[in-house]
Amino acid sequence: MCDWCDKYADGYERWYFNPANYARRIYKIRREEVESAGAEANPQAAGGMSVVGREFLEAWDAGDQDKVREMKEKAEAAAWLTHFGQVLTLDEALRICDMIYPIGLMTCACRRSMRALPDEENFVCMGMGPGMYKWERWPDTYRGGMHYLTPDEAKEVITKLNKKGLVQTVATFGTPYLAGLCNCDYPDCAFIRTTIDFGVKALWKGHYVAKVDPDLCTGCARCVARCQFKALNFSPSNNMAYIDQFQCFGCGLCATECDQGAISLVERASLPALANVW
Amino acid sequence: MLPTITVDDEKCGGAYLCRRCVLVCPTHVLGLGTSVGVRKYREVDPERFVVRGVRLDKCTGCKDCVEVCPNDAIQVSFS
Repeated sequence: MCDWCDKYADGYERWYFNPANYARRIYKIRREEVESAGAEANPQAAGGMSVVGREFLEAWDAGDQDKVREMKEKAEAAAWLTHFGQVLTLDEALRICDMIYPIGLMTCACRRSMRALPDEENFVCMGMGPGMYKWERWPDTYRGGMHYLTPDEAKEVITKLNKKGLVQTVATFGTPYLAGLCNCDYPDCAFIRTTIDFGVKALWKGHYVAKVDPDLCTGCARCVARCQFKALNFSPSNNMAYIDQFQCFGCGLCATECDQGAISLVERASLPALANVW
Repeated sequence: MLPTITVDDEKCGGAYLCRRCVLVCPTHVLGLGTSVGVRKYREVDPERFVVRGVRLDKCTGCKDCVEVCPNDAIQVSFS
């Protein structure tokens, strides 16, 4: 169980299976953002849905470890209060579809920012819960509009996006209220990107870890293309996939691709060294 | 080394519809931002989007973005 389960699971298996965490009204915390201007444009204000700004990048670039650590802790504290995510397996995401209402299919702000994706191609984000009624009242306020889905439709969409290679995550909008069910990839998703590039925990690892069965792995390497977290390597000397379990976020994209069924997801809690690696 | 990426929004004249620099960058450095901040009813206007450097740490200085821009709106310098 992760820190969030400790605090918010309240008897349920995971905090994201506790209906109470979807039941309240979500609210958007609007920062008074500085308008970006001139040469010193701040990525945070400017877009890219950045979790860290130019000051952080400069400290990182300069190798100022103390400053980086200080800013990282600040960024994490802010994110954990308002807006951060955790990785889910496909099965967990499908299970959540049966719990939440309404479910809205929306355009992804991260992909719009980082790839200027046209709205028609960008419906990969899902909003969940009573906060979605806001879009019904003001449909124009969310770019591209909102499509309400039945639970079965939502499961179909998520399964398709998982097959395509996107990672399912849940996101809080005012912790602990979960309102986002995202389909992420590196480098355009701000949560994955910030976490992988800088170790700022905007995205928490999931409750599982992937494991390769050496007897079943044939070395086809199809799984390698699936990992968005830089945890999967192919070892030519062994002719086998190698998973760095300390890096693995437990999304299961590799497992769902393996035709041999050689990759399985094991409970993070069952591995003493990984039980608290989030 | 971090670059200084300057975008002349007047010269750019429509980041969302053009998007050439965003797409040409091999390391996805550039991103679209909103020039008016997060405000109700204003998020829908595509003309409000501007290009800015986001992943400054990944900029190699290749200048593909500078070359591809039809309006000479973007400058990249490492000085």
